[in-house]
Amino acid sequence: MLEQPDARDLLATARAALLAKLLPALPAHLHYEARMIANAMAIAGRASTVDPAPLEARIMNFAEDTAQFAARIRAGAYQPGTPAYTGAATLLREVVRMRCAVTNPRALG
Amino acid sequence: MNEAQRAALNAWLGVEIVGASLLSGGAIQQNWALRLADGQDWVLRTDNAATLAVSLPRAAEYALLRAAHAQGVTVPEPLACCEDPSIIGAPFFVMRRVGGTATGFRLAKAAAAQGGDDALVRALGAELARIHRITPPRADLAFMGEPPADAGLAFIAAQRARLDEAGTPRPAVEWGLAALARHAPPPVPPVLNHNDFRTGNLMVEGQAVTAVLDWEFAAWGDPHADLGWFCAPCWRFGNLGLEAGGLGSRAAFLEGYGAGADASRLPFWELAATIRWAVIAADQGARHLSGVERNLELALTAQIIPELEMNILAQVEALDAGTA
Repeated sequence: MLEQPDARDLLATARAALLAKLLPALPAHLHYEARMIANAMAIAGRASTVDPAPLEARIMNFAEDTAQFAARIRAGAYQPGTPAYTGAATLLREVVRMRCAVTNPRALG
Repeated sequence: MNEAQRAALNAWLGVEIVGASLLSGGAIQQNWALRLADGQDWVLRTDNAATLAVSLPRAAEYALLRAAHAQGVTVPEPLACCEDPSIIGAPFFVMRRVGGTATGFRLAKAAAAQGGDDALVRALGAELARIHRITPPRADLAFMGEPPADAGLAFIAAQRARLDEAGTPRPAVEWGLAALARHAPPPVPPVLNHNDFRTGNLMVEGQAVTAVLDWEFAAWGDPHADLGWFCAPCWRFGNLGLEAGGLGSRAAFLEGYGAGADASRLPFWELAATIRWAVIAADQGARHLSGVERNLELALTAQIIPELEMNILAQVEALDAGTA
């Protein structure tokens, strides 16, 4: 339904223009700002390709929503050595990896 | 700084400023380099618009600088403090300008090039030990209030309150806080914590420390909170193997610190450090999201939270396994 190129492509193309054409022409005191804009565009581009729904659905196995899951963790519902702890730890690892794949894939190791 | 401000400043300080330029760095404060007619170089420190609610006012930071200077900590010599906002528009203090660089990435790169700089981290450990010789009660530092009875438990409670305030539920950060609650070490006598003693806030020239900067988060607490903050993975500037601030070995840093460092307390406080940075980043993101201050830098600071969460999960695993 939407026109092509899609959000990811537009952001990537615009970002390339920013870095290749605008950045070299900008005075030095604006380079930091320009690099921040390029970083924001890269993150937004990656975010547009991720579907958090499957992991959100799996959080429902632990709680009604993310807020309740967080509250249960705080209340001490998951103690090391229990299956609930292992299950929650596994899910958290997957959620955090997905979040990090959007914000900084280099940190995934 | 306009002409009228400079004239008011000359009159108040009783000097003649011949040059004033804004220095780089300082997300919370403005730092101005002042050149005096007699050739002296001073730095003026005042508030930026984006002042964090948790940071201390300038007069308090000045009192800390004086206390640290008297204790022999390497800090810029404090010269004068003005709480009257009418002089330049906000309270400020001036200190002597020192040489060196504080840029984290530059220092980390130089240290990595020589396989780690243990002489430097030994010196930094000694600096931190001098800071920790300042202990409560202190009439001149009364603005810091009473020390917490248990710094570890107080930390956990404070971070939970700030997460609630920021409004976004964060299961991975809660996971870290729950682990801290399970592993809280017994309290030790409180000392002055700098609370932002890390690569990036330490001025270095060659292998010499020329200044410990940015005292606005100082508070009474467990000395290991500062040791853990310095060694936390998030402050290694890419040099993960150089565990002391991305600059040198943890062993050299602790050796420089000397008596009073209990290595078994560090895993707790290094996890606390990662959590604290994630909560600060969440606060900054919340400032942007709430519309209090729409700002790209604040928005991007929130984007570092997921990588901090990666660290938190790994640190919890090591803490629970006893391998941290």
